[in-house]
Amino acid sequence: MRLTRPAPATAPPARLRDPAARGRVTALLAAACLLWPLLQAAGWNPAALLAADNLRVVGGFARQFLPPASDGAFLALLWQAALQTLAMATAGLALACVLALPLAYWVSGAARERVALNPLARALLTLLRGVPELVWALLFVRVFGLGPAAGVLALGLTYGGMLAKVYAEILESVDAAPARALRLAGASRPAALLYGLLPQAARELASYTVYRWECALRASVVMGFVGAGGLGQLMDQSMKMLNGGEACTIVLAFVLLVLLADALSAVLQRALAAGWRSACLAAAAAGALGASLALLEIDWAALLQPSALRAMVEFAAGFAPPDTSASWLAQVARGMWETLAISVLGTLLAALLGLALALPLGRLWRVPADLLLNLLRAVPELVWATFTALAVGLGPFAGALALALHTAGVLGRLYAQALRNAPPAPAHALRLAGSGRALAFVYGTLALAARQLLAYTLYRWEMNIRMAAVLGFVGAGGLGQLLYVQLSLFGHARAGTVIAAMLLLCVLVDWASAWLRRRMG
Amino acid sequence: MGFQLEGVGLAHPGGAQVLHDICLHVRQGEQVALIGPSGAGKTTLLNLLATALAPSSGSATVLDQPLGRATPTRALRARIGMVHQAPPLPPRQRVVTAVLAGRLGRWPAWKALASLLYPLDMAGARDALARVQLQDKLFARCDQLSGGQLQRVGVARVLYQEPALLLADEPVSALDPTLAQASVALLVQQAQRSGATLVASLHAVDLALAAFPRVVGLRGGRIAFDLPAEQVSPAQLQALYAQAATAPQAAAPAAAAPASPSTGYGACG
Repeated sequence: MRLTRPAPATAPPARLRDPAARGRVTALLAAACLLWPLLQAAGWNPAALLAADNLRVVGGFARQFLPPASDGAFLALLWQAALQTLAMATAGLALACVLALPLAYWVSGAARERVALNPLARALLTLLRGVPELVWALLFVRVFGLGPAAGVLALGLTYGGMLAKVYAEILESVDAAPARALRLAGASRPAALLYGLLPQAARELASYTVYRWECALRASVVMGFVGAGGLGQLMDQSMKMLNGGEACTIVLAFVLLVLLADALSAVLQRALAAGWRSACLAAAAAGALGASLALLEIDWAALLQPSALRAMVEFAAGFAPPDTSASWLAQVARGMWETLAISVLGTLLAALLGLALALPLGRLWRVPADLLLNLLRAVPELVWATFTALAVGLGPFAGALALALHTAGVLGRLYAQALRNAPPAPAHALRLAGSGRALAFVYGTLALAARQLLAYTLYRWEMNIRMAAVLGFVGAGGLGQLLYVQLSLFGHARAGTVIAAMLLLCVLVDWASAWLRRRMG
Repeated sequence: MGFQLEGVGLAHPGGAQVLHDICLHVRQGEQVALIGPSGAGKTTLLNLLATALAPSSGSATVLDQPLGRATPTRALRARIGMVHQAPPLPPRQRVVTAVLAGRLGRWPAWKALASLLYPLDMAGARDALARVQLQDKLFARCDQLSGGQLQRVGVARVLYQEPALLLADEPVSALDPTLAQASVALLVQQAQRSGATLVASLHAVDLALAAFPRVVGLRGGRIAFDLPAEQVSPAQLQALYAQAATAPQAAAPAAAAPASPSTGYGACG
């Protein structure tokens, strides 16, 4: 890539070449070489959206959407399911906290005299986080039967892992001097943590927990798709009967619930920032937890009976050793590749759609665009997948589309925020120098915000690989489909291989995303 | 060419009147320094010339185009360049891109977009940077430069734009005195070379008097004087910068004949 323009007489004779060009070309070529087979694996086929058969199915279904179901019996059922969803999220998060506190204490290097690497603890956290909550739920449903207990346990384990990791990081990130001084004065590690670190970290810990509660609510909405109760179960039934009116009402309930969670979370965050008495917050949390447990009516005694525990151990033992026959491994590898393809295509499409919806094109555009973003975001991926499967048929492309629709809502909102917060001076200066609006946006605003947009996208990709792994539960291809089929056939050894593959894929994507973020930094 | 302001007034939408009855005729290629206390309206006047603000009364003609209610054309704006007090450059943008952005007003969209992938006029960008002694920073990123270097990149962008009217809003207030002097000299010299009209607002009066042939004093949104640099008297400067509380009295001698404050260039009849 040489520029063959003759150098001006005053300039040194060296021909100019952009030192970044080679890297860019290489990166573009590498991306293209990777993307093409990934697109193939994800079953990229936009024409299917316009195929006559599919359009007829979607059209027929959409016609039933209106009017939404509103008979009293159904609404009562819906109300119960919504409460159950809320209770499942709250109880699940409480369990997660109970798990996370000792784990965080164990894994964190905070207030330790010597740096301790806890490979065992870190591996446990990775296992808890790396297996998506829906997979845990699917497994627990087989042990404990249908109902919200499985959902609560699944949320507890996955979110316990996430909370423990972040709690540990928060404790490590605050100023260590007070704790060190206490240790030197002879205090034990727990005392040093409580008196030296907790006062500094408490607000951030609480704030992150509230944020996770919001996430748990979204997650528990779809738990029902694997039989763990709540709104998802109702949705699953309605979709299987192709009852558009009911589906429409349930989707509206999703949207309301998610917006409610947003609002409540915002109120709690503000309360934390305003320095509410921790006693008030603790009382509110305890009240919510008590109400949730009362509503869920989980028979904890039965869950903890020796016979139940034995059944669980037997069930878990069935997965080991995983099936490592060459033919099955090949199939699992194909499943991994397909799952990766779904996550990449879904995230890319979401980034494009999200950016388009985030563009600052004035109020007339922003109001409907924000409405659409909220709608896209409020409907979970699995629910989108049941719709997209109607539109393009079962398979990975439906999964990628579902991922793209939900993620576009999430990313679009973050993008719009980042673009709004970018200083206006560079774009304004370019406008004054005669640049058009679009180019001033690209050279001014986008140049300022690009890095943040990219970081958001990569973080979202890490979440999407976990979601892509379970979209197969509703027939959208990838590892999820393999797992679902094997569990239905009691092929536990084979299912064990699939779960290990999910774990491996999540770890690999986390690593790749972190590497890309460092490279772009 | 140049610009002509006839009795121009400017009121912000909130109602505050920032400029009153400004009469200023500047021929193409002239170099004018704007001085005056903070809040005198220097930046507003420059923004008006940059077509960012429209006059609310009087008539203004910039580069032979009347400024009115209608949005100014991109072609006109492409011929007006502005050096800002804080260079408005995205930190992670490369210097070459930041300089080439000076011609976005004249480049077709495809060229501007392609240039993001591979800079299309590296030689031009380097020549502009060479005039501010920064040619070795062509491929550096803006956040790797010091404040003074960044300011010079801002100048290089405007030089690359090749405007017929070059505006500078406190271009050197962030620089140390030596660098400030050199930068102002550079602006004057480059404007001279390309035949551009130069209007710069400056805090440093000595710099304005030394480097610019014509000096306009602004106070309270009015022109207090408009004179060749060598005719500006210490008394006039003292009146210009007098404290607000004593302003009416102190300004009285200079404003003895308020209808024609400018002696040297008396533009408005």
